Amino acid sequence: MAETGGPQTQVRLQLTTRDRKLALPESLGPILVPSSLRRYALSTLVNNLLGTEKPIPLEFLINGSYLRTSVDDYLTAYGFSAETTLAVEYVRALVPPTHVASFEHDDWVSSVDVLSSSPSNARGDDNGHERILSSCFDGYLRIWNSSSQVLATSPSPSDGGHTSSVTSSKFLSPTKLVSSGLDRTVRVWKYRADGAEASGKVAPQLELYGHRGSVNSIAVHGHSNRILSASADHSVGVWSTSKSHAPEAPGNLLPSASARGSKRRKLDQSVTVPQRGPLSLLEAHTEAVSEAIFDSKEPTVGYSASWDHTVRTWDLVTSALVDTRTTSNALLSLTQLPELHLLAAGSSGKDVKLIDPRDAATTVSAMTLRGHYNAVVSLAKDPESEYGLISGSHDGTCRVWDVRSKRGGKDGMVGESIYTIERESAKGKGRIMAGEGVKVFGVCWDKALGIVSASEDKRVQINRGSGIVSQRSQTAA
Amino acid sequence: NIDPESLLPKLPSPEELRPFPTTCGIIYRGHKGRVRSLSVDPSGLWLASGGDDGTVRVWQLDTGRQIWSVSLSSDEAVNVVRWRPGKDAFILAVAVGDHVYLCVPPICDPDLEGASLEVLDAGWGYSSSTSTTKLPLTWTRPSNKLSDNGVHALISLGHTAKTVSFHRRGDYFVTVCPAPSTPSSSAIAIHTLSKHLTQYPFRRRLKGGGPPQTAHFHPSKPILFVANQRSIRAYDLSRQSLLKILQPGARWISSFDIHPTSSAISGSDNLIAGSYDRRLLWHDLDLSPRPYKTLRYHQKAIRAVKFHPSGQYPLFADASDDGTVQVFHGEVVADMMSNARIVPLKVLKGHKVVGDLGVLDIDWHPVEPWIVSAGGDGTCRLWR
Ligand SMILES: [Mg+2]
Repeated sequence: MAETGGPQTQVRLQLTTRDRKLALPESLGPILVPSSLRRYALSTLVNNLLGTEKPIPLEFLINGSYLRTSVDDYLTAYGFSAETTLAVEYVRALVPPTHVASFEHDDWVSSVDVLSSSPSNARGDDNGHERILSSCFDGYLRIWNSSSQVLATSPSPSDGGHTSSVTSSKFLSPTKLVSSGLDRTVRVWKYRADGAEASGKVAPQLELYGHRGSVNSIAVHGHSNRILSASADHSVGVWSTSKSHAPEAPGNLLPSASARGSKRRKLDQSVTVPQRGPLSLLEAHTEAVSEAIFDSKEPTVGYSASWDHTVRTWDLVTSALVDTRTTSNALLSLTQLPELHLLAAGSSGKDVKLIDPRDAATTVSAMTLRGHYNAVVSLAKDPESEYGLISGSHDGTCRVWDVRSKRGGKDGMVGESIYTIERESAKGKGRIMAGEGVKVFGVCWDKALGIVSASEDKRVQINRGSGIVSQRSQTAA
Repeated sequence: NIDPESLLPKLPSPEELRPFPTTCGIIYRGHKGRVRSLSVDPSGLWLASGGDDGTVRVWQLDTGRQIWSVSLSSDEAVNVVRWRPGKDAFILAVAVGDHVYLCVPPICDPDLEGASLEVLDAGWGYSSSTSTTKLPLTWTRPSNKLSDNGVHALISLGHTAKTVSFHRRGDYFVTVCPAPSTPSSSAIAIHTLSKHLTQYPFRRRLKGGGPPQTAHFHPSKPILFVANQRSIRAYDLSRQSLLKILQPGARWISSFDIHPTSSAISGSDNLIAGSYDRRLLWHDLDLSPRPYKTLRYHQKAIRAVKFHPSGQYPLFADASDDGTVQVFHGEVVADMMSNARIVPLKVLKGHKVVGDLGVLDIDWHPVEPWIVSAGGDGTCRLWR
């Protein structure tokens, strides 16, 4: 930077953070630094100012984007003069997620959910123990503790279990589960834990009928006891988990309606589980619906993503379609970044589209996250950062994204992943064609437990690298 | 001095012609031995496949999971699987050995399953009660073991059908038994689902070019196209007359397909044909009995050719024993005077060539620009 003989260019930075533990005294004011500084040097500088015992790796944001080169390059790129005082926000750098444990199954695992022990989670139990719920292609749900012991397994088909692959399952509360299946049903279960560590029991409570195709995924809202389901039959189902509030089941869709089914059922069935129908079926999509979710602040609003390339917004009270956003690919997964007013939709086109569903939004896609080599079939929000996101793909990886890590592309803003989590079962094998044998089907991100993913490799894999855990990793580093 | 190249119309780059399939998304593994045939169902959710192991299998298209399978022969290959068009029923036709089986895989909802069984059951007893003319074969019910597993009707052709092709409305399908030993009078059969009726429209062998190879109905007119080794003939079924003879200039035609919007958009019919002697040919039927374009891109025989069926994507593809699927842009334009513009887009590589056999069959997804392929390597693959 420095011209021959001249002094090095300097720039004034106003350093701020939202992390109270890392805040510099307000009296500090803007500081003058060489404009050639990069992230690492800035991180060292702030750590020195803070007087931290062990250095905390920091990232720097200028105008909502991460500093990836030098401050000088930034000034040049945006045409700022070195006279300006730059407002710079700093955040803890995410610690790379490392493998913690894998839970082995007998068959492909389709999805996973965590009952958090963190008190901020409304669903959390107060024992300080996480519970992991896995859904398996073998037709069973399993509840695990964090030391990879199975605490309970759902019953077999003859005892009221799913008659085909389980596609998704969620904790509605510490004692209630909801699942969906290729058998076109949504099921509600009671989970009773017998003592702290002993085995528990998963007992069928309700069988919900109404879908004509596989139920691909479900979302639950504990306070209102509502379920949203996404089905291959093009509809979104709205259901009550309460037997007394749910309408009668449609007779033509019960297993007893099929000649073959009734024969089998009479022979096999040992238990009778109450059967109910949907509160409503939301119809507008023209192809399979892959995922439906509740708005995290306003549970009377729902969103759905479909193979028909659209994300739709629904008023769940009136069942009215409120909004449709059309993208260029079949959409296979959906989650919300509520603080940013964005929806994230994973696509068959190997990317994640960030969509602002509000009326005022003028562009369909605010940003595209690129990097996966295959369809993106599962998404979850970072429990600790409004900007964080995890994606699971048929390429056999999960990717961690920070939507502030981005660059301008020829068709809008493009985000790049900050970490890639591979399957432990495929470590060192490089990229596997079509993700054969290691496709990720589901991913979930828990504050305490970390990133939990379900795969064709018959394992639930846990990777951790943030929050309290970061201190341990730093010691190792 | 004019460079002759500069007079040629400039072809757009593939990049401008997106979307089209570029990468292998899913591998479907389970068949023992070659997969000979595959078909995506009208809903776009299920993939059916059949092969040398005598089994027919149905897979969940978007996960690669096998959902259903049935073994139809211990020693003969499943040569063809084809879904009946239309979403009102869920019926799979399977040609294995000398038989054609009609299946309702037990994976759909009770309503659709009931409707499908009605379609298959309506014809029982029809032919015996209404017809006194010579009916060389009847449709029968398969064994209880098979019907418990979703196999509901059986046509015993007495000869091996290598192609099965449905009429767009789903009530008719045509089978072709190409073996030279098959009598000419029973090589081509038209089957009516609603009547359980099998008819033989041709008494004599088609002239010049050996036994018939494959046949398709026109997408909207009552016309049957039949290919033998060297020519493709169009017959008016209602008037029982020969309408047209196409001479693709290939030595041995393996397959052909008729453009889905033929007679609707351009007022003319467009057709592609593939040949064992490595040619891919585009015919505009109104222009000439000769192909408008001959493409030679493959190193080995072409086994299958197919237009995207939706009419929404101007795509077609072929499959070859060299192990590749090639994807092309081919837009049929409304202007009678101009020809379809053909641009090679992508070579899809992944199938291994096993015993000189590469890719044996392809099918497009009904609404997405995705294609599936069946390989001599025992796998099916989804490309998107
Ligand atoms: Mg999913």
